[in-house]
Amino acid sequence: MKKKLNIILLTSMFFLMGCGDDFLDKSPIIGDTSENFYQSEEDARAAVNAAYASLQYELTPAGHFRWFWGDVMSDDSQKGGSGDNDAFGLLLLETFQGQANDEHIASEWTASFEGIYRANVVLENIPNIDMDETIKSQVLGEARFIRSYFFFNLVTMFGDVPKADHVLAPSEYSMPRSPASEIWDIIIDDLTQAIDVLPLRSELSSNEIGRITKGAARGLLTKAYLWNRNYLMAEQTANDIIISGEYMLADDYASIFTTAGENGPGSVFEVQYMNASGGNWGYNAQNEGTFTNVFQRARGQFNGYGFNLPTQDLVDEFFAENPNVEDPRLSATLFRVGDEMGDRGVFTKEATGGFPHDYYPKKYFDNQSETAPFGDPNPNGGSNDRVIRYADVLLMHAEAAYHNNNEGPARTSLNLVRERARGGNASILPDVTASGQALLDAIYHERRVELAMEGHRFFDLVRTGRAATVLGPLGYQDGVHNLFPIPESQILVTNGAITQNPGY
Amino acid sequence: MRYVVLMCLLLTSTYLFSQDRTVTGMVTSSEDGQGIIGATVSVKDNPNQGTATDEEGYFSLTVSSNNDILVFSYVGMTTQEIEVGNQTEINLVMSPEASLINEIVVIGYGTEKRSKVNAAVSVITSDEITQTPVLRVEQALQGRSAGVTVTQNSGSPGSTLSVRIRGAGSLSASDPLYVVDGIPVEGLDFLNANDIESISILKDAAASAIYGSRGANGVVLITTKSGDFEKEGEITYDGYYGIQSPWKKMNLLNAREYAIIQNEAFINAGQIPRPEFQNPDVLGVGTDWQDAIFENAPISSHNIRMSGGGKKSNFTVSGGYFQQDGIVGGEKARFNRYTARLNADFKVKDWLTVGTNVGFTNLQRSAIPENNEFATPLVRALNIDPTTPVYKADGTYAYSRYADTDIANPVNQIDLTYDTWTSNRVVGSIFGKFDFTKDISLRSTYSVDATFATQDIFLPRFNLSNDPDLRDAPAHEIRDVNVVILNNNTWTANQFENVLSYNKTFNDVHKLSVDLGNTVLSRTYRGSGGSNTNLPSNDPEDAFISNTIDPLESQGAFEVGEEETLLSYFGRVNYGYDGKYILTAIMRTDGSSKFGPDNRFGYFPSFSFGWLASEENWDLGIVTFLKLRTGWGRNGNDRIPNYGYYTVVNSGQNYSFGNNETITNGSVPLTIANPELQWETIEQFNVGVDMELWNGKVTVTSDYFIKNTKDMLYNPPIPATVGAAAPFRNVASMRNNGIELAVTYRDKIGDFSYDIGGNITKISNEVTALGSGAEPATAGNVTFHGGNVTYTDVGLPLGSFFGYVTDGIFQNGEEVAAHAFQAAATAPGDIRFKDLNDDGVIDQNDRTVIGNPNPDFSYAFTTNFKYKDFDLNIFFQGVSGNDIYNASVRYDLAFSNRPNSILDRWTGEGTSNSEPRVSLSDPNFNSRASDRFVEDGSYLRLKNIQLGYTLPESVMQRMKIKNLRFYVSSNNLFTFTKYSGFDPEIGAYGGVLAAGIDRGFYPQARSFIGGLQLTF
Repeated sequence: MKKKLNIILLTSMFFLMGCGDDFLDKSPIIGDTSENFYQSEEDARAAVNAAYASLQYELTPAGHFRWFWGDVMSDDSQKGGSGDNDAFGLLLLETFQGQANDEHIASEWTASFEGIYRANVVLENIPNIDMDETIKSQVLGEARFIRSYFFFNLVTMFGDVPKADHVLAPSEYSMPRSPASEIWDIIIDDLTQAIDVLPLRSELSSNEIGRITKGAARGLLTKAYLWNRNYLMAEQTANDIIISGEYMLADDYASIFTTAGENGPGSVFEVQYMNASGGNWGYNAQNEGTFTNVFQRARGQFNGYGFNLPTQDLVDEFFAENPNVEDPRLSATLFRVGDEMGDRGVFTKEATGGFPHDYYPKKYFDNQSETAPFGDPNPNGGSNDRVIRYADVLLMHAEAAYHNNNEGPARTSLNLVRERARGGNASILPDVTASGQALLDAIYHERRVELAMEGHRFFDLVRTGRAATVLGPLGYQDGVHNLFPIPESQILVTNGAITQNPGY
Repeated sequence: MRYVVLMCLLLTSTYLFSQDRTVTGMVTSSEDGQGIIGATVSVKDNPNQGTATDEEGYFSLTVSSNNDILVFSYVGMTTQEIEVGNQTEINLVMSPEASLINEIVVIGYGTEKRSKVNAAVSVITSDEITQTPVLRVEQALQGRSAGVTVTQNSGSPGSTLSVRIRGAGSLSASDPLYVVDGIPVEGLDFLNANDIESISILKDAAASAIYGSRGANGVVLITTKSGDFEKEGEITYDGYYGIQSPWKKMNLLNAREYAIIQNEAFINAGQIPRPEFQNPDVLGVGTDWQDAIFENAPISSHNIRMSGGGKKSNFTVSGGYFQQDGIVGGEKARFNRYTARLNADFKVKDWLTVGTNVGFTNLQRSAIPENNEFATPLVRALNIDPTTPVYKADGTYAYSRYADTDIANPVNQIDLTYDTWTSNRVVGSIFGKFDFTKDISLRSTYSVDATFATQDIFLPRFNLSNDPDLRDAPAHEIRDVNVVILNNNTWTANQFENVLSYNKTFNDVHKLSVDLGNTVLSRTYRGSGGSNTNLPSNDPEDAFISNTIDPLESQGAFEVGEEETLLSYFGRVNYGYDGKYILTAIMRTDGSSKFGPDNRFGYFPSFSFGWLASEENWDLGIVTFLKLRTGWGRNGNDRIPNYGYYTVVNSGQNYSFGNNETITNGSVPLTIANPELQWETIEQFNVGVDMELWNGKVTVTSDYFIKNTKDMLYNPPIPATVGAAAPFRNVASMRNNGIELAVTYRDKIGDFSYDIGGNITKISNEVTALGSGAEPATAGNVTFHGGNVTYTDVGLPLGSFFGYVTDGIFQNGEEVAAHAFQAAATAPGDIRFKDLNDDGVIDQNDRTVIGNPNPDFSYAFTTNFKYKDFDLNIFFQGVSGNDIYNASVRYDLAFSNRPNSILDRWTGEGTSNSEPRVSLSDPNFNSRASDRFVEDGSYLRLKNIQLGYTLPESVMQRMKIKNLRFYVSSNNLFTFTKYSGFDPEIGAYGGVLAAGIDRGFYPQARSFIGGLQLTF
């Protein structure tokens, strides 16, 4: 009996000993851990692609529509939606009663820092990889652009922000805000370095279209210099783009915003979106499409959400030069009652679900035939976000040149834009010959109509110091509304290490 | 060992030399003093040596020795043992069986007599389990045990339930551990309730500590029916058929009323009403969309079981079939299940018993979209306008001209839903039990739980346009491209377990039992799937991934996988002194792959003490049994995702490049790693009493507990500056404390016997910490009410409702002007919200706690009556004091239908102080999250009433059957509640932190059932 007991006990002990220490060591079956990643060129590409992906994020809890801030906050458009309560926080913001606990503000902040983190991961891990040095420096340049792009978003929206220029250690989580000037220093430094290593657009192969180029970095740098009123550098940087010969204005203004017009001759920087299955409403999802299309389409028969509604004031701007002549860019910018909304039918108020709105945005309109043929089409809009166009570069060049007292080159750039807009119709949009303030006003007018509904207006007004005049009647106050409130959640979670902007 | 053998020999030898003699006596009942007819009297060590009492209760039996022990037994009476000694006449009074103290309780790695259990353990019997027709065994737990709260997460057949043992013990996962025949399993939809012998619920850490890191939320031990040795073969059939129907409809506007309200909304907005609504009276009542989606649905169950046993083996073989259709969706919400089971034991040698428990399940569950406020048939039926017909004149489905994107024709939606989950699952074990001596045994068990499941989804093309070419239907009533999706999942768990047991009584008074064991558990999940679009055929029968026109452009594929391992050692020492004092100590240590090398092992002890006061030499009067017990124990909760301590580089963060828009992989760690990740720890203190009065006529069990969750996993937000998601950290804590009381009264008057029982539970839940600097957790997003509506903060119960406080309706412009600023367009007739911080502006800072989804009390009571061949069982269950957040009406959609309470709307000064004016755009945001949507969720439900008739013994004998019973029963016959929605029993569909939100809840059905049970 005793022997039997021993045998059995020994047998069971044997089974137990089969489980060594590694029995409890289980690393992921599918996927990598940081210990075995960042080792090859492929890993480097994947790392920077993840930073690119953050450019695409929209909606809450982390994401951004440039048109929320650039258009809706301005006199160009109103929030829209199913009613006041549809994204109510945006209504408060656009009427300059914005609240620090607004989810859209928090989403912008979060998405921007997520992009910065991903760029920082690239900048810290990729230099150690043994790989082709040219590709490595290109990847690092792309990461620097993406980091500066998000810092640019942050500094123009919030002013002073935490200078998260590296992957934060736990002890740094509650990093306070640094002065905006230090943030601008990072932006300018990153972009300057990126310009050195990034390829020209013409150097990209056809399957690399969409990657960040020297021109994109120069475009963003021009904008950064303009914000800092460094007009000399702004003009010079814009001029670098012009003389590079890499870009030209597309002949047909309206074609820019079609699917065929994506990454066109005047495309300096576009966020790439496509119809892709798998898109969903979650953040960080495998989402290659955009919500902009569905958000900006009319409701009712057009099956959109009816956001970003152009104002009468914007429409009037297209008649500002001559009340009897319509700037042809208007019909490429928005829909009016009676217009064909692509293949989705004629715009009548009845067809839009009975809403009283007179105008709907057109630049990010997609046809029924272009919607994702699978899954939920709502997050799967295919329209690229045209962030920096050559026309924008030319107008920035004109603006900088004007301030540098180079009115001739300023008028040349301005008139290039007008010439294209004319579309061969010599009777309209004559060349600007003005000088002094009239020239500057002409440049401002041109920016508004050329870039209408592309997310520029509010920031242009703030940057050029015109916001109080133009938006004051809507409630805007300088010193408060030139910046957005710091998300309250971030103040709480850092126990006040992050402080609020004045006036909120 | 040698001495033991010698002792045995000596004992045997005494028998050889003993003298046979006769003992006589009378057996009477304590209830009426009359003799008991047919009571069995036998010699304990020789069951063949026995007799039965005669018509007057007398017996006469030959015994061989003074050492012989006589066993007196009779159905319904407590079995008693008397040592013969030198007596020649033994008169005995038998008492009714006091089930509470004598029932055998499964306690985890063993069984114990109820009277010897120190911890809070509830037992549910097979009769209780099958009294109501249950699809999932979790349903059978509802109302049966104090301290156990069960709520349906949905009424659709096969949906999950929230089971909370002594409250939610965690912010993440609060479901108990389910162990079926020793095999830990996830989800009980595979199990046939008819196969279950009993369920034990270990509520208290003093008992559940033996399950260590997995027992924090309590343990439900399920034992399936097995055969008995030396028992004649038996065949049992058990089946029923029933019809389920909805028991409640919501009161919505009819077409005429809808038009009136719409007209008023347009006028209030300064717009011209729709011409077609000019004369509301001609519209009549219009479409009742609730009638259109609800239907009567069948439920049926058939089970057959054969069991028996010889000297060396026993077995049970059973097969079952269950089918339930949904009252919404019918066969589109059908649950279908086949089960087969074999339980068998074989005595291979006198020292070795081997056996097997194997169950196979094939189930198929079809599901319609449910429980969200956007695009489910139920929400659509509540919100689509009543002026739209279900069908066009040509018999095809109609579309609404008014409803918005989310609100399409719900009947068409149901028709077009093809979503089926098919699962094949084997849960089984083989074991060997080695009896080394009569005191020491080893049980080794190898078990497998393997599930192979497939989900098939097909989204067909459709177009509800009157003229498909004109595409006049809104876009959400047209789908141009069909989609097929297929997902395959495999879960496997392998467990090897050894338990060494030692039982010995020393000097008659020291009773010692020791169990030592270890478990090795490994679980793996693999999943893969694919999808494709644009299939040439729109027939669901042809919906295969490979069957497409453009395979390369539109196909999707994915693969996922995970594995986890657990290595455990455990021990239990139970010491009893003189049948009066019982001390139990448990220690378990678990090592889990979910945690980093430094935090891999956790230690989980418990101690408990019981005192059988009624065994002392005191006269307790009517109290015939009294036991006081107390215990303390520690458990862990490891229900967190795998790999939490690793920095996982997540792929799929893709971007598209190139003229051909090629999707290119991107990878980044999305979540910060937490190398310090640890278990959640629950420490529980329990004090309880078990009592019987009048020999079991009344039984009382009551417990008080304090359950503290420490190191609770929570991901307190980290600053967004970090750029990645916050890891789960062991930072939060929570306390549940509560009182449980269960009372039963049973009696018999002639042929009439009855029992009445009830249980009541009061649990208070409070979050005591969320980690330093952590924000309160909000959850339960109701988009069109402005965001999250639940709020979990220190000092509050889990998931409290959070929002604005209403303060009547603005009756006139002066009132609007006098009140804090709400919105620019606030007008008379809008809701006045309280300015809680008195800053003159109504904003998010004026929100507060407006409700609690956790009940003050949950309770149940049952009564069972038996008169001759008839039996009647009644089972009520209810909760009291909880709130429900009703989010089922789309107030954000101007043209959707409304509850008819809107007919009492404000139309001018003094007309209403509760129902706001109607408007198209709701400029005051009257539909913001507020106490307007918080309703009392208390209910009392007649869960089941059942009337049965059993054929008289004489008839059955003639028919050569053992038992034949017919019954009719009804479930959910009545529900008493003030709640206005479909069903007040709303679980935690959105997780622990978002319980009690009604997003168009799929209601439970009322059913009428007829069944029969036959044994021969």
